[in-house]
Amino acid sequence: MRNTSRDFVRPNRFLALGLVIVVIFTGLTARLWDLQLVNGGHYRDLAEQNRVLRLPVEAERGMIIDRNGKVLARNLPGFAITVIPVDLPRAKQAALAQSLGVLVGREASDVAKAIDAQRVRNPYEPVKISLRPVARDVALLLTERGEMFPGVRVEAESIRHYEDAVLYSPLLGYVGPVTEEEFTALREKGYLQTDLIGRTGLESVYESYLRGGYGWREIERDAAQREIKQLAYSPPTVGNSVRLTIDHRLQLLIEGELKKGVDEDKFTQAVGIAMNPQNGEILAMYSNPGYDNNWFINGITPEQMKQLNSDDRRPLVNKAIGDIYPPGSTFKMVTGLSALNEGVANRGTTVNVNSMVLNVGGYLFYDWMAHGRVDFVNGFAHSSDIYFYTLGGGNPNTGQRGVGPEAIYKYGSELGFGSKTGIDLPGEAAGIMPSPEWKVRTFDEEWTIGNTYHESIGQGFVAVTPLQLLNAYAIVANGGTFYQPHLLKEVVDQQGKVVFTQEPKVVREVSITKDNLRLLRESARRVVTIGHAYMPNAKLPIAGKTGTAEFGASAGKDSVGRNKLGFHNWFVSFLPKADNTDPSAEIAMVIFTFDSSRSLCNNCFNPAVGITQRVLEAYVAGKP
Amino acid sequence: MSVRAISVRRTSSPLHDRPHTRRLDQVDPYLLIATLLLIAYGLVMTYAVTVESRTLTGDPMQYVIRGALWASIGLAVMVTVAMFDYAWLGTFAPVLYLATLGLLALVMFIGVSSLGAQRSVNFAGMSFQFSEVAKVLMIVVLAKFFADRIDKIGSPITIALALAILGPAFVLVYRQPDLGTSLVFVAIFFGMAFMAGARIWQLVGMVALAGAASPLIWGLLKPYQQARLTAFIDPYADPQGAGWNIIQSLIAVGSGGPTGKGLTAGTQSPLGYLPIAESDFVFAGLAEDLGFVGAVILFALFIVLLMAALRIAFRARDPFGMLLASGVVAMLVFQIMVNVGMAISLMPVTGIPLPFISHGGSSLVSICFALGVLQSVSMRRAGPELG
Repeated sequence: MRNTSRDFVRPNRFLALGLVIVVIFTGLTARLWDLQLVNGGHYRDLAEQNRVLRLPVEAERGMIIDRNGKVLARNLPGFAITVIPVDLPRAKQAALAQSLGVLVGREASDVAKAIDAQRVRNPYEPVKISLRPVARDVALLLTERGEMFPGVRVEAESIRHYEDAVLYSPLLGYVGPVTEEEFTALREKGYLQTDLIGRTGLESVYESYLRGGYGWREIERDAAQREIKQLAYSPPTVGNSVRLTIDHRLQLLIEGELKKGVDEDKFTQAVGIAMNPQNGEILAMYSNPGYDNNWFINGITPEQMKQLNSDDRRPLVNKAIGDIYPPGSTFKMVTGLSALNEGVANRGTTVNVNSMVLNVGGYLFYDWMAHGRVDFVNGFAHSSDIYFYTLGGGNPNTGQRGVGPEAIYKYGSELGFGSKTGIDLPGEAAGIMPSPEWKVRTFDEEWTIGNTYHESIGQGFVAVTPLQLLNAYAIVANGGTFYQPHLLKEVVDQQGKVVFTQEPKVVREVSITKDNLRLLRESARRVVTIGHAYMPNAKLPIAGKTGTAEFGASAGKDSVGRNKLGFHNWFVSFLPKADNTDPSAEIAMVIFTFDSSRSLCNNCFNPAVGITQRVLEAYVAGKP
Repeated sequence: MSVRAISVRRTSSPLHDRPHTRRLDQVDPYLLIATLLLIAYGLVMTYAVTVESRTLTGDPMQYVIRGALWASIGLAVMVTVAMFDYAWLGTFAPVLYLATLGLLALVMFIGVSSLGAQRSVNFAGMSFQFSEVAKVLMIVVLAKFFADRIDKIGSPITIALALAILGPAFVLVYRQPDLGTSLVFVAIFFGMAFMAGARIWQLVGMVALAGAASPLIWGLLKPYQQARLTAFIDPYADPQGAGWNIIQSLIAVGSGGPTGKGLTAGTQSPLGYLPIAESDFVFAGLAEDLGFVGAVILFALFIVLLMAALRIAFRARDPFGMLLASGVVAMLVFQIMVNVGMAISLMPVTGIPLPFISHGGSSLVSICFALGVLQSVSMRRAGPELG
């Protein structure tokens, strides 16, 4: 039965609840009265002040200069297009993305995506829409017809510019825009979404020095979001300049010779590096082919990218450090020093090279001529292969003892082969310094005496970067100290004050006696005076060692019709202060020509020798 | 009268109700009109704060379109629910209780995290806030419980059992974490217990106990919740941090002045100074665009709605109907007070939607369901022939 009693309705409580409701709404209304009617003007002012916008002011990136102040990377004024999402009503976004996309050469959908991403991230910060500097007329159009482009700002922007782009691109690398993926992490470090960051090379290695710090300015805007006046300004901190150890004059001299050789198809690729053996400073580093790093600044076109990628010489790789080659006869230095230091040989050790072939158990190992009886100095000067076969692997026919592959591995490793030098550049290769243990590990095969013979003259497994080879000879030239090669000389702030100086860094003192190093310097000098690298009309007491490596097919043409000859010529040299054997050289240089043409090689004067003589003579003669 | 005898027999079962036409006469027109106007007002505000927004992405009209869709669904739900005798809800109360806990547990396990809390479940491309549904279901469950024990309402055991029913749901919502919504549950409980006739000293005792335990409760709060309470007391202590929302909201409301800046002409919402402008801080956007006048019109509509609901409670045929209506009133009053209070710095910041005005389908449909129940109570009220 239905409960017809109305006892459950308590009028007092209804009255109470009704009163509570009235009190609550009265309270809310009273508060609104106070806020909106009594203090409305005050809050209206505060709302106006919310239109103050704080904008970042870009900091110019530091310059990169050579040791004498010649500018290698600078900044040019340009224009960038940004959008501040809060100023752009969403209803107008699609149309704006369309028109901006046409002006900056991007898909409308990409532009819209970038704006949306920034809306979510921080709609008060500008997002950069132009990926490359925009032309002045575009900038003018956007400025003058501002009402057609809500939220769009044209910002003065400095554009990275590389002087002598191709010459220095293997060293400097380039800068590029921060990607959306990277930005999450970089944001903590004060990067903006519109920022550039060093992508590779020194631009990347010394990013923290080169990058400046943002300033900011506060602007007041009217209801239409137009800037009325600047309220506050905090200037940006310009990035520091990086002074390199590079000597532009020497760099140009090396380029002059090597570029000419490539242009004339005497060889297809070339590397030239010079360093100061006394402190590890790199004075010049040239790798041909290079690339124009300004392409990356202006937004590389698909055609340009295709050109770089289709060149089988791989122009984006710095061959001075990034690729490995057999060192050829230049490696006899390691064999010789190992034999001398282990007491297997001395300057009087002679080998009778009366035949062009060494027969060991039916296997034949060739020399390039029958030199007759040679001692250490002559064997090195004339680059006798059989002499160094004997020093390395011994001669079972005569019972002469060789130093063996373990010792060569030990001294080769001390001289820096098989591991990175630690130069301040990305992309360095480690090379290969083989040993019997290495061969078992790598190929699961026992080491043979033939391996020792090949290694003794720099063929076979051993592979080096041009920088490693130069560095090893620099150790010989300075009397046994391994200095870490480096390109940074100092960091200079905007006022010209030096804020950081790169001190020479000793990696190790090699365990080769001073006398043995002196004997090798003497032998290297004899290479030039009587031997394999005879220099006519020599003006300087250059010492060095040639090397010719031969590998792969030595015939045909490469992808763009250059001769492909498979001879690679080395000349690694150092220049003592006087014509003696003192460890005084302040310049050491390696010249490496890849695929040297046959016509040059038949008479077998290694092109690297003449190049070295001309470069060093011109450099010393022109010294201020 | 023979007619009356039949009627008594029929209404003893919810399946046999009075004739249709008789019921339509008793639809509460004030409640209906206020409901429709408030829904419309909500759509206008959703449009006003989202269409010009510079911080939201995508189609500028999407919020209004979705709001209109939810409003139609809500109205359909309201009409459907009103058709049935609300006694059905009492019959199924135990099932509804289990459904409530199930939905809240579901949020805990498969919910989507947003702004640090796990409050919604995504399904078929839409996001559902089950705690909004749970609030209304909890009203039904408590109404049934109190109605069945209306004769023993003074007993402490009744209050203790009611708390035991409320407890699990409260904890599940609190753990999301959604302190605001869990407090709505508490408000519903107190409102219904009061209207059911619980002894005043018991209710006051519970409040006093909570007050005494407040240092303990403070320790249970998460750091951001503590920060909100501190910021409420002094927003300018951390104007860029915890106080930011409060200050920007005050600026929006205050700068609206007597008549507002005009619909969509406000700057605080579209420029992104007001966070979650379409939902939590929608009142600030309303007060900025439409000023004191707009706010007072909103309050008037709310008062009409609430008073109509109270009248329905007063005239209900049975304790269950009376308590259903009372619970809805308690819920709406508390949400309005907290949401509007937050925008004008009379209350700490919590994520409680403003009924009808905040954009959000789960909230709107749940409220429509509740109002449908209220109309059902109204349509089946104690007729004059019984009075």
